[in-house]
Amino acid sequence: MTDPTLIAAATAGLEASINTALQYDPATRLRLQALAGKSLAIEITELGQILCIHFDEHQIRCNRDAENPTTRLVGSLPGLINLAISERVNLADSDVQAWGNTALLSDIKTIASDLDIDWEEAINDWMGDVVGHQLAEKIRLQVGWLKQRSQSGKRLISEFITEELRAVPSASELKHFSADVDHLRLAADRAAARLLRLKQKLSPQKPTL
Amino acid sequence: MSDKNTTHFGYQEVPVDEKAERVADVFHSVAGRYDLMNDILSGGVHRLWKRFTIELSGVRAGHKVLDIAGGTGDLSYKFSRIVGPDGLVVLADINESMLRVGRDRLIDRGVSGNLVVSQADAQYLPYPDNTFDCITIAFGLRNVTDKDMALRSMLRVLKPGGRLLVLEFSKPKSQLLSKVYDTYSFRLLPIIGKVVTNDADSYNYLAESIRMHPDQATLKEMMENAGFANCDYHNLTGGIVALHKGVKP
Repeated sequence: MTDPTLIAAATAGLEASINTALQYDPATRLRLQALAGKSLAIEITELGQILCIHFDEHQIRCNRDAENPTTRLVGSLPGLINLAISERVNLADSDVQAWGNTALLSDIKTIASDLDIDWEEAINDWMGDVVGHQLAEKIRLQVGWLKQRSQSGKRLISEFITEELRAVPSASELKHFSADVDHLRLAADRAAARLLRLKQKLSPQKPTL
Repeated sequence: MSDKNTTHFGYQEVPVDEKAERVADVFHSVAGRYDLMNDILSGGVHRLWKRFTIELSGVRAGHKVLDIAGGTGDLSYKFSRIVGPDGLVVLADINESMLRVGRDRLIDRGVSGNLVVSQADAQYLPYPDNTFDCITIAFGLRNVTDKDMALRSMLRVLKPGGRLLVLEFSKPKSQLLSKVYDTYSFRLLPIIGKVVTNDADSYNYLAESIRMHPDQATLKEMMENAGFANCDYHNLTGGIVALHKGVKP
């Protein structure tokens, strides 16, 4: 059994990180006020651990006190991570079960999707306005460069696989192929309809009303 | 207690009437630097022990909480935020100096409205029966002269279903940790006490009083004898500290 001191240290770290981040996003902090008094318990099946997030008016509290939470989520770690990062809010085929008020999940996802932390302000508070701004500019440039490299890297890998290796068809080839299949399906449907009409014409009995 | 009229003060046997006075002298002496010393001596881990205590308290908005031996108000501060404007936290301590430091600190941190500061002896709690949803006593029970009487007094003022949480130094589980801990307590701790507060005696008393305090199983039995139900304890940091929990039936 893990020593409660270590778990308390982990939850204290998580709580401090989230509350510090929220300090630099006043809009999200304001939206979180609507959840005051509610709590979300997350039970991770592989670890046998529970994390409970309590929403107060000005901050959140993280601990293992999961008595009568507003919503309880139970699931595997990958399932819970997938639920957290994906756009979906329903739990079908997600390997996660929920009890209680599931509207809280939807509210949290909506608030999290609008999260906009002013990290430059955080650096400024730490290092001062002049040095902080210069550092933020450098970080912004580096992040921009990394994003650009990541996008061009994705494009180059895609072109290598489709054009050089010819391992898979390219997007445009796939699109043309799909269009051809659609065209063929429609033509076959039309031919079947004509055939049916011809059969009805040749038939000795006329259809009655 | 070796004799009816004496009790232990660290490793010394002193008359029962004298212990409270001598404990009071220790805390008058360290009150000003109590928080600093706690952080230095525990490496800040005392905050995690207190955090776990709050987790297990199950305190909710609107509850009434009694923080006995609350000293400088660490637990009271957290509880006051949890119980909200409809709840109540009573910060109680027998020692005036500690209470003054705690009260000033809480006022400085903006706590008001749901907090009452009360000078009270844990053995004779001056509150009506069935008042509190939760009682905590953190690092205070070992200094109480008659622990059984204090536990009965706490049971009386708890509401039925209410919880008592006793956070206190205890006995480490492993022999190795025990040896390291003994060396630290009896050699290093008084030196740090001397350097930071110029008071080695108070920290000698701290180390000795920890050794004289009942171990996990004994304290659990004492709580059961006092009338608490569902008594249980959690060892923290290898048993250096234990958190005991009991419920008023």
